Amino acid sequence: MAGRPWSLLPVAVLAAPGVAFAVDYLTGDQAQAGLFPEADHFEVRNFALEETERMAIQKRLGLQVRPKWVVRVAMRGGTMVGAVVVDDVIGKFDRITFAAGVGLEGAVRPVEILSYRESHGQEVRQDSWRNQFAGKTETSPLRVGDDLANISGATLSCTHVADGVRRIVAVVASLKRSGALK
Amino acid sequence: MLSRFSLAAALVSALPGAAAEPVPASSPAEQTPIAEAGHASPVFENLNIWGYGEIYYARPSKDEGRTVADMRRAVFGLGYRFSPRVVFNSEWEVEHAIASASDAGEFEIEQFYVDFEAADSLTVTAGLFLMPFGFINEHHEPPQFYGVQRNFVETLIIPSTWREGGINLHGNAGPGFGWSIGVVTGNNFKDWQFGSVTPPYVTAFDLEAAEPGPLQSTHQELQIADASHLSGYVALNYHGIPGLLIGGAVISGNATKVPLPADVPNPGQPRVSLWEGHARWTPGRLDLSVLYAGGHISNTAAANAANPDATNPIPASFNGFYAQAAYSVYQDATFRLTPFLRWETYRMGSSYEGTSGPVVPAGPVAVSDTPGDVSFWPQNNDQVWTVGANFYITPQVVVKADYQRFANNTNFDRLDLGLGLAF
Repeated sequence: MAGRPWSLLPVAVLAAPGVAFAVDYLTGDQAQAGLFPEADHFEVRNFALEETERMAIQKRLGLQVRPKWVVRVAMRGGTMVGAVVVDDVIGKFDRITFAAGVGLEGAVRPVEILSYRESHGQEVRQDSWRNQFAGKTETSPLRVGDDLANISGATLSCTHVADGVRRIVAVVASLKRSGALK
Repeated sequence: MLSRFSLAAALVSALPGAAAEPVPASSPAEQTPIAEAGHASPVFENLNIWGYGEIYYARPSKDEGRTVADMRRAVFGLGYRFSPRVVFNSEWEVEHAIASASDAGEFEIEQFYVDFEAADSLTVTAGLFLMPFGFINEHHEPPQFYGVQRNFVETLIIPSTWREGGINLHGNAGPGFGWSIGVVTGNNFKDWQFGSVTPPYVTAFDLEAAEPGPLQSTHQELQIADASHLSGYVALNYHGIPGLLIGGAVISGNATKVPLPADVPNPGQPRVSLWEGHARWTPGRLDLSVLYAGGHISNTAAANAANPDATNPIPASFNGFYAQAAYSVYQDATFRLTPFLRWETYRMGSSYEGTSGPVVPAGPVAVSDTPGDVSFWPQNNDQVWTVGANFYITPQVVVKADYQRFANNTNFDRLDLGLGLAF
């Protein structure tokens, strides 16, 4: 490569970068509307898992599960059509805020990334990666390196968002089974 | 044990002045925060702590008397978010357990930089930061690579951990493209070691610890660095298809030359260039990767000619390649077992100017003053097969084992065991 090193700089300026950190891309309301466009309104409800059920989910998933959950219930004509949960996971060293939607039949919708706060790993925002979640259910592995492909260089962000979605899918399924979510 | 969030709350309440003017988060958490083991820890709202480390056991199968166990590195990171757009990150490393004048260890600053989001479409990094070359240099925590030690191509040809002082711009462009570009401190050949009385390394463990690679031994790590010459680099990656990564990077810049006596002609400035290309395919449990790296150093003839019969002349070119396959044969909610196989070739000197190449003793040579402590002078190129497995106790804690077989330096064959973690 010849020339002065800074002669490369204009190449960067000409590119159309899309990176950012500490950025809110979507609000919870925007995410829920995107996940369930068929809904005519959403009801924010609070749930508490039975302790025995919480412990059972933790053991099955190998993840921490909080006892109390805020769920945005998607409604259409007075009938529930799905559930949206907005949650946070740690990427490498800061929070990623995401939303997972689960339909009545238990199938996951593509994940929405609401806020990303780090300078690396933001590739999890790519449509192609988020769309991998579509159609997964409680019985799916929902695990990077299994039924979800990784993004090399964003491994921690991918792994932790997948963990977060797996946790939400299990909790929503549990709440539906118990009759609390209907 | 307090969770990290409850610890944060306790600390903040106990030290009201510690976060007197907290920077507003970009958005509050909707759910009650939970402790998630194995992740970085935001101790205060804007302060992060993380770390990683690894311990090795290396047993040369043909020279078992040189078996070593080593607390190879312990690294702790500190980061602080000054505002939603300005973040500081740093990593502090101790190598080989003890760092003092009479010990082999080192204490060093591995990273120390500020990220500034200049616009929603542009991030600027300034300080001491990792170079975006290959797979491992920017992602070198033990759970992220296969094998007890890092592969030879990404240590001897692409140094790791390779950091320089300078300015970087990076971002994503279009669907799935990531780019990085910058200007950094260059290489310094002022202290190049053309030879030594005893072999510089006689085991594979020593090979990685001695850092004999042409860029390993000349990069400056911002230690009173000669900044009269700078290097420019650009890296491009495509990750638009889940599981696929294809990319490459190139760096070039003038370097500080070897000082020669005034009456010895020493024309031209050495120019150091390195380029690499890599591809990785991780569809589910399978993990396939290849990487090629090559480098060139110009204007080395005078320095090499002034040091005839050197065991370690400056190479004009050097290169390496590896191909690796891994597959997770077992995975449940807690554990994962991933065997792997890797073949690699490295040539720390594939061509020379001003010399025909290293002149090394044939047959056994003394390694130290201890009678009977002999070995072979190592060749600076080899082909290595590595077979082994990573066993993940959690995604962040890994136990490793591998066996390496060397085609040229056959006395380097070894069994490795390792423990690594990152949080």
